[in-house]
Amino acid sequence: MPEVVNTSALTVEDETAEIEDNRPVMIDVDHVSMSFNMASEQLNNLKEYAIAIARGKLFFEEFKALDDVSFKVRKGDVFGIMGTNGSGKSTILKIIAGVLEPTKGKCTVNGNIAPLIELGAGFDMDLSARENIYLNGALLGYSKQFIDEHFQEIVEFAEVEKFLDMPLKNYSSGMVARIAFAIATVIVPEILVVDEVLSVGDFMFQKKCEDRITQLIEEYGVTVLIVSHSNDQIARLCNKAIWIEKGHTRLIGPAELVASIYGGLGGRTGTGQSESIVFEALEKMICGKGGVDDRSVVLGTESSEGTCAKVVLASLGGQSNIESLALATDRTHVNAIVATGFAGAKKIPVVASGGSDSLSDSAYRIILDYKPRKIFLFDCGSSQDGLITELESLYWKPEVISFGKLLSVRDFSLEVYSYGLRQGIWGKEIAFIGLEENTLSIALLPLLFRLGIPVFVSAENESCVEAAKNIKALESSPRCFIVGETVLEEYKCEFQEELLGVDVIYFGGDQNRALVDIASYAFDIEDGECDVCIATSNIVQWPELISCGCMSRIKICPLLLIDQTSLDSEASFLSLLDKYRGRVSKVYFINGKTGLDDGTRGLFSNYLFS
Amino acid sequence: MPFNKENFNRDWFILRSLVSKDFKLKYRRSALGVLWSVLNPLLMMVVLTAVFSTVFRFNIENFPLYLILGQTLFTFMSDATSSAMGSIIDSAPLIKKIRINKVLFPLEKVCFALVNFVVSLIAVAAVMLFFRIAPTVNILLLPFLLAMLFMFSLGIGLLLSALSVFFRDVMHLWSVLLTAWTYATPLFYPVDILPDWAVPIMNANPMYYYVSYFREIALYGNTPSLEQTLVCLLCGVGALIVGLLVFKKQEKKFILYV
Repeated sequence: MPEVVNTSALTVEDETAEIEDNRPVMIDVDHVSMSFNMASEQLNNLKEYAIAIARGKLFFEEFKALDDVSFKVRKGDVFGIMGTNGSGKSTILKIIAGVLEPTKGKCTVNGNIAPLIELGAGFDMDLSARENIYLNGALLGYSKQFIDEHFQEIVEFAEVEKFLDMPLKNYSSGMVARIAFAIATVIVPEILVVDEVLSVGDFMFQKKCEDRITQLIEEYGVTVLIVSHSNDQIARLCNKAIWIEKGHTRLIGPAELVASIYGGLGGRTGTGQSESIVFEALEKMICGKGGVDDRSVVLGTESSEGTCAKVVLASLGGQSNIESLALATDRTHVNAIVATGFAGAKKIPVVASGGSDSLSDSAYRIILDYKPRKIFLFDCGSSQDGLITELESLYWKPEVISFGKLLSVRDFSLEVYSYGLRQGIWGKEIAFIGLEENTLSIALLPLLFRLGIPVFVSAENESCVEAAKNIKALESSPRCFIVGETVLEEYKCEFQEELLGVDVIYFGGDQNRALVDIASYAFDIEDGECDVCIATSNIVQWPELISCGCMSRIKICPLLLIDQTSLDSEASFLSLLDKYRGRVSKVYFINGKTGLDDGTRGLFSNYLFS
Repeated sequence: MPFNKENFNRDWFILRSLVSKDFKLKYRRSALGVLWSVLNPLLMMVVLTAVFSTVFRFNIENFPLYLILGQTLFTFMSDATSSAMGSIIDSAPLIKKIRINKVLFPLEKVCFALVNFVVSLIAVAAVMLFFRIAPTVNILLLPFLLAMLFMFSLGIGLLLSALSVFFRDVMHLWSVLLTAWTYATPLFYPVDILPDWAVPIMNANPMYYYVSYFREIALYGNTPSLEQTLVCLLCGVGALIVGLLVFKKQEKKFILYV
């Protein structure tokens, strides 16, 4: 998929904008463009130069780092510049600092600039801190007398009294940054430029730096220019901001607004259409400013098993007695999907037990609280000894039925299927899932649970489809879910004639598209109110989602796996929610160690409930 | 950057700081420290004298003094130009971040070479004392000579520093050229041993005039002729003008190439 980065200008209706502002303009960037000659960057010697001329390729490829960027920074403004890597932030700072001349346009600066652009540029590692303070001060344009007067102040701020005469090469980079910051901010400049400096040094020092910047802003009314990826920082410190993307101005306005729009759109790819959907939603969120809605709930703890336990408790909703439960380890996602199909058929919860040979704390707690008489253990491919011993030694002696001991995923699927068959629990559906379709199969959990579907997982060399044909599993199942292209191919191969009469539902191809399809299908299998679970499609999140199927115990609860880096994904889920808006009564964000960031969570819950 | 007193003060302080930095770094952790600037030319003189008074015999009076005068003066020029050459590239981090007068970097290197030269004059004085050569009033022309050679070296240094930004080859080439130049200048041989064909080359060699000028005022105690003075002055001013022109024309592009 080609990367689509939108660079068109956005506009937000903003009532506070352009009130007659007659504070003096400190920095005036006026239609500035900057082009680099890509070829010229690499020609460092005569030979290369001659070759380039001979090839007639000397002046090829012009790279536009900035394209017609304009903004004004007025006295007392704290102006934020945001943008992804390589979008031209540093170039614009260099132009403002006067080290780079724009190709087109004009940049006027009124007042002296204290550059913090990459701290410590003029340091010599062989000199001591004391000598460097003087040298750097000189380079920044201070007089000797000034440095003499403020020397102690600098040293105290940087907290380097003891090491003053040690060569700088023996300092850690954080300490160097401290000195640099101390030197650069000891004067009260008219314009202060802060370029990601706050990301160096320990957090105490970061705090100190921020405090100093705030002091400069508040006490002296210094005009500040801050460059950052962090929209939090921009929103906290700035009053105005600009978002630059690949050299183009995207948005300029009040910092909080720009920061939240950047937080929602910046650094993500997607078509222009998707972007405008997300943008509209963002705008709605910002203008709405709705408080925290109790209809959106965040479920999460530090450990993935803990998060799963929370999900289980949420799904049980106060039910106090559980006859039996399914316990799935997170050694492989296959455990989760097979267990969920089985548990759905038996209407029992799926508890995550972690990946080790002993129970996770949270699973132990659940088991101890509910004291189920039967525990179904799903742990494919491992010896299980530790877990079984631990479970059987519980004081009320639960019955432990384990699946998957030292089995391949195919045999594991078959074992569970035939056990269920003997119990007569299976319904009219069956699912074939490719082992490699991790994310899609997780998204399928609500369906698997709600419909109680036996799951056949096919690994590369072990086809479950073939095995299922041998045991005639499909004969009693007129509806068949297939996930993954390879499985579909196998299915077509094996059941050429029998295809008729079986309702095949296929999910696969483009992952984000398929995730939306699955969620949409889940919505459609039932009418009326339902809850929704939302998490990321990031592959690291699946251990937190093991129990998500249980949420569909009473009503289907679709699981929306959103790709946060793709606007297309966000936009299609927004459209999906738009369609089912009336039906959604509650949103659960599964958010443990991973999950959607605050901004995106806010975006979705606002979109639904405002 | 407009020229005014404030800028000048700033530049002057930067220049001083940079020179003192170079000075400190050069002698840091050496037991004899700055004494090396005196010892070095002396030892060099001893070696060369040993070589040239046994292997090649030239009939030159006070040969060691003859030698050290040429040697120190030439070293000043070659140190100044070759360190100025890399000065812009070496200060890339600064040039990219701070608005600063870029001429300062080559200028500082030339100043530093001058400081070293002035220190090594102690060695020259010691040798003069040893040979009982009393300085005449002409020695007072030394600052004038230094000013001219300073301009000459700065001009070449500026030119080289600008060129080396665009073509790093210059750096390799220059060390070879300097070696050739050392031999093409009568540092340890008298001019009159040169064959006829080499005389025009010698006449086109500015360093020949500077070295001769130095010997006139220090070794022979003569007042240099007007013609010789003019040549030295023209070379200095000319080199400086060319160097500055090239440098100023190119300096805006430096940041794209360093």
